[in-house]
Amino acid sequence: MSKRDFHPLVKQLLDGDITIADLPAELRSEGEEALRLLAAVDRRPLQLPEVTARVMATIGDPSRRKFWRRVIEPREIRIRVRPWLLAPALAAAAALVLWLGRSGSPAPSSDLSGLVTVRFVLSAPDAHDVGLAGTFNQWDASATPLVRTGAGLWTATITLPAGEHQYAFVVDGERWVPDPAAPAVDDGFGRRNSVLTL
Amino acid sequence: MLTSLALPLALLLTQQQSIADRLAGRVPPDIAALATELATDAAGRGLPIDPIIQKAIEGSAKRVPAERVGAAMRLVVTQLDAAAGGLRDGNAALSADTVAIAAGAFALTAGLSGRDIATLARSGSPPAEVIVGLRVAGTLVALGVPASETMTLVTGTLQAGRPAGELLALPGRVQAEVAKGVTPAQAAAGLARAAAAQARRGPPPGRGQPPPHPTPPPHP
Amino acid sequence: MRSETEASPDGEIVRAVLAGDRERYAVLVERYRDRYARYAARMLGSADAAEDAVQDAFVRAYDQLAQCRDPDKFVGWFFLILRNRCFAERRRNRTSAPIEAANAVAAADRADGGAEQSEQRRALQHALLELTPDQREVFVLKHVEGLSYGEIAERLSTSVPSLKMRMHRAYDRLREQLREQT
Repeated sequence: MSKRDFHPLVKQLLDGDITIADLPAELRSEGEEALRLLAAVDRRPLQLPEVTARVMATIGDPSRRKFWRRVIEPREIRIRVRPWLLAPALAAAAALVLWLGRSGSPAPSSDLSGLVTVRFVLSAPDAHDVGLAGTFNQWDASATPLVRTGAGLWTATITLPAGEHQYAFVVDGERWVPDPAAPAVDDGFGRRNSVLTL
Repeated sequence: MLTSLALPLALLLTQQQSIADRLAGRVPPDIAALATELATDAAGRGLPIDPIIQKAIEGSAKRVPAERVGAAMRLVVTQLDAAAGGLRDGNAALSADTVAIAAGAFALTAGLSGRDIATLARSGSPPAEVIVGLRVAGTLVALGVPASETMTLVTGTLQAGRPAGELLALPGRVQAEVAKGVTPAQAAAGLARAAAAQARRGPPPGRGQPPPHPTPPPHP
Repeated sequence: MRSETEASPDGEIVRAVLAGDRERYAVLVERYRDRYARYAARMLGSADAAEDAVQDAFVRAYDQLAQCRDPDKFVGWFFLILRNRCFAERRRNRTSAPIEAANAVAAADRADGGAEQSEQRRALQHALLELTPDQREVFVLKHVEGLSYGEIAERLSTSVPSLKMRMHRAYDRLREQLREQT
């Protein structure tokens, strides 16, 4: 705690939890300084009698609205993302995402904790290792390695909370491959991330 | 109801310490410094900081040059501000909800506009459903459904009072239709027609909307 | 226009306005205008900016009145609209000069209370503008508006411990700022 900071007891005084009489002698002058600070607070109401008339005139007259509307308009962001469609040429990297626990029923995951188990599958027969990196694991592919299951398929099954997740596969530690069958968005670095919305 | 603003309830560390903990070991010092500055500033404006931190970690994991990571983080902040603005235009009380702001920013990343976000916020649905609606709308655009068909489908489903699970199932249903050979736009339009037909039959029991008032205040 | 001393509860007035009685909205404006103008003035450091913010917020609240889910809690819902309008003002005016703004608030002081008190007020307002918006807000809500920590926590949907942490940091920063000014 810096010497410039108020003593914790003085902060309780400022909060109104104790009175200056409760402070030990050595903190009295600091307490008085604190009370002077509070005394300098401007509590006078700001009287704006004209506001009522202007508000009522505006809501009653649509043509006046634009004049009074000094609202900060948000800048519109339009980012054109070319949607990713399954390209036959990428058959070697085709991936499937199966939704265990939903079984095709339209009902939402009625799991009380709001968790959904998801299996990721990637076909990459020539790969030496494949990892899954995303918002759910700090983009650390080594945290979620996929397991080779034969016929060139790699699999990982993880449990995720409801929400919107972005991810990509990392092949041989350096090639970032989005999921061709999933929705994709711009990652801001010139590449694509896959999207999983639960 | 509204989620906690600025600091998560569970954390009693200072905000900057918690940001530093998340970045430690994952992000080089210069990116960490910028991320901390941007996140602290954003938090002071009532914006969620998780998308900013995530982008810093993602860029570092992808070994992107620091300048580019900085640019991407600033873009995230701009999108968060724009999402908050869009929500405010639609339903001002919702624009204080950091989860809604993050969902809106995702919708912007996918290609929707601030006006689209305002439209969804104005739908009158409970906040939790608006949030799911924003995420699903972003996901549909990311699948290749044009913005206007996406908006028709999502607002139609929201206004029909359907449960959130049906919203979440929309992207999968669009993908299933696309696999049969139609375009994403056609798939979405077909689902929207089905939703509209259902809306005419009325909301499911227990999910009625409040009765409309006779002379609503004018909208700008 | 109706009498300004109408004593109907907020919820009743909101429902009446939604049913088409537009003129009764003026009662809500009169009821909360000055109090919220004070919050906005302390947050933005300028009476003019506060007037704009409060006016815009009341217009916007009217436009979106149908979305006020609990008419009996109009004041808390309206507060959020005003709060966001103030935050938006900060986003836009990142380069605002706190010194001039604080002087604008203090200019009206000189007529009453004496020069020394008005100088102290000006100094504290200047120091307040140096806080982060979060810190300034909790300080203003407690020490200007007189809300308890519990009431503030409910309004901002956060916890009392997290508010106290914010406030205690605000106290230290204010002390530092005031020392630097002398």
